[in-house]
Amino acid sequence: MYGWIWRHLPGNAWVRALISLVLVLAVVFVLFQYVFPWAEPLLPFNDVTVDEGSGATP
Amino acid sequence: MSRASRRAAAPPVGNRSVLAGFLSLLGEVLITVGLVLGLFVAYSLWWTNVLADRQASARGDEVRQQWQAPEQAAGPGALDTRGGVGFLHVPAMKNGEVLVKAGTDPDTLDDGVAGYYTQPVKSALPWDEKGNFSLAAHRDGHGAKFHNIDKVRNGDAIVFETRDSWYVYKVFAELRQTSKYNTDVINAVPKDSGKTAPGRYITLTTCTPVYTSKYRYIVWGELVRTEKVDAKRTPPAELR
Repeated sequence: MYGWIWRHLPGNAWVRALISLVLVLAVVFVLFQYVFPWAEPLLPFNDVTVDEGSGATP
Repeated sequence: MSRASRRAAAPPVGNRSVLAGFLSLLGEVLITVGLVLGLFVAYSLWWTNVLADRQASARGDEVRQQWQAPEQAAGPGALDTRGGVGFLHVPAMKNGEVLVKAGTDPDTLDDGVAGYYTQPVKSALPWDEKGNFSLAAHRDGHGAKFHNIDKVRNGDAIVFETRDSWYVYKVFAELRQTSKYNTDVINAVPKDSGKTAPGRYITLTTCTPVYTSKYRYIVWGELVRTEKVDAKRTPPAELR
């Protein structure tokens, strides 16, 4: 998978490394900005209130 | 061996190369999953704190500015509490001041504040004649305002600061682990706290053990005195 991406990037090794870095940062940004905030409430790590078990609405 | 001959020898025909290709793809996918999970831990335990602390300090500054502003046309006594009702100080938790707002829904608590319960049992407010001022905040992530709740001992002070008063509470009981469905702990006379008569109580709730939310951790305090806020906002003895 990573080998395939590397082979399909243009330019020499340095340019490819630079593009790879940008791609990695873009992925991290998308994860932190969109994916994790969406996933977090679905996971049972951070419910802090006592409630009557209605689940989603604490 | 020359480069050309190695390349010629490289692709062994048949099932072996298909299997090798599949295994290498699987390995890369597993490594990627591991990295993403690691990033999620960083997000939960670090990045949400950064965001929440930024939010909380901005909102807190707004509330303090509002307090300093001269009385609005709304008339005396009419306190605008939309931004927050005040600040919680728990010296034993060593986390400074915590802005307190209405409600315990995730959107409220994720901004690095403590929220007072509006349901399932409606919280009293400190200035009410009798009742239980019940609060919830995150143990980890999103400001982790109650992270050190296990450091709070009987006799420790919990101070709530409003525009005009300091409400000084003293911790008298804790419940180190209880079911998340145990809503009786935030009753006006909290069950399991040992109290049987109505009084002016404060209840802190958060999740336990740390990094999970299997159970709830409860700390109860009782009002011992109130102090008027002076011109210099001198904190009460407990906070000095």
